[in-house]
Amino acid sequence: MDTSNPAVLVNAELLRMHVGRRVRTVIQVLKSDGGGSVVGRSTDEQQLIIKGYPSAPLSTFVEVIGIADSNQSIQADSWTNFGDNFEMGCYNKVCQLANGDFKHLFI
Amino acid sequence: MYGNSQFDGNAAFSGGGFMPSQATQNADPAFSPAKSREAQALLPLTVKQISEAFQASDDKANFLIDGVDVNNVKLLGMLYEKTERVTDVSFVLDDGTGRIDCHRWVNEAVDTKEMELLLNGMYVKVHGHLKGFQGKKQLMVYSVRPVTDYDEVANHFADCIYVHCYNTRLRKSQDAHQVPGHMQNSTFNTPSKGYQSTPSNNVSVQYNTDEVKGIERKILDFLQQPSCIAKEKGVHRDEFVQYLNVPENKILEAIESLESEGLIYSTIDEFHFKSTANG
Repeated sequence: MDTSNPAVLVNAELLRMHVGRRVRTVIQVLKSDGGGSVVGRSTDEQQLIIKGYPSAPLSTFVEVIGIADSNQSIQADSWTNFGDNFEMGCYNKVCQLANGDFKHLFI
Repeated sequence: MYGNSQFDGNAAFSGGGFMPSQATQNADPAFSPAKSREAQALLPLTVKQISEAFQASDDKANFLIDGVDVNNVKLLGMLYEKTERVTDVSFVLDDGTGRIDCHRWVNEAVDTKEMELLLNGMYVKVHGHLKGFQGKKQLMVYSVRPVTDYDEVANHFADCIYVHCYNTRLRKSQDAHQVPGHMQNSTFNTPSKGYQSTPSNNVSVQYNTDEVKGIERKILDFLQQPSCIAKEKGVHRDEFVQYLNVPENKILEAIESLESEGLIYSTIDEFHFKSTANG
């Protein structure tokens, strides 16, 4: 049992509050050039840069977990393909709740 | 205690198994209805919630979260450190809020097959029983399944939030219900005012008894007043009608009932009454 290293559920809006911390989010891949960075759209329709090298080809939606190194980018160490069908709106709402009224259930 | 939960169909049919049956509110309010019914409920939780659960008592191995007995839990997260041994498989579940140790006993080929499919880094759903062992909380898992539709991730967390809200709100309303049984009767019968025309005799009788009880109480209270006690001849029943503003037939019913209970007695004639308590 270890809650010392949680990854905060964020969207682009919430990312700025957790710069320097471990975060996770889902993005819709817009541009993946294989050159160490991926451009994606966040669940709240803003652009994010994800740095890192995915271990496998990416699907349309990807969950990334890593350290937030700026308001708009994440240094990712974990990439999980979330497939081609995903409800961004739902995930966004959960992010807001998890950082708002129900923060105590998550962090 | 466990016998009760066997034939309570309400718990099984009312939405997901974690909602306590509404009918239990008639039971002794001091004894939490959660005891036997929710011992079997499945709670969706985050590892953070589990880490904050505390033990209900030393002899019971049960935990409490949001005031609810925790037995069966549902978690969703990434599987790591999978270690296969002869009779069991252990792994760590990381759901982003924390990591928890899990053990899965493998007794049959089916179980082993289930576990073989799982790889480190995979998103899985686990169902299990929360256990404390040497101060640490662990999960005895009886089902592990890979997540295929990733909307389940958001859904699971929304589920956790919802159940948390439900349980904490339920506790607040239970605390508010700690009133004596008499009061509870009246709150449950006022809605039946609209049911006067129902064929069900039980409902109307109960309604009448309660109304009469209310009037009886008022009569008694009236008679207990010092001014009434002072009256040697007692109080004429017309005074009750006037004072309470209640139709005479209802007053008559109440008087009859009070007399048979021995709470009031007639004095100079059948219209005058006094309370037996202080009169």
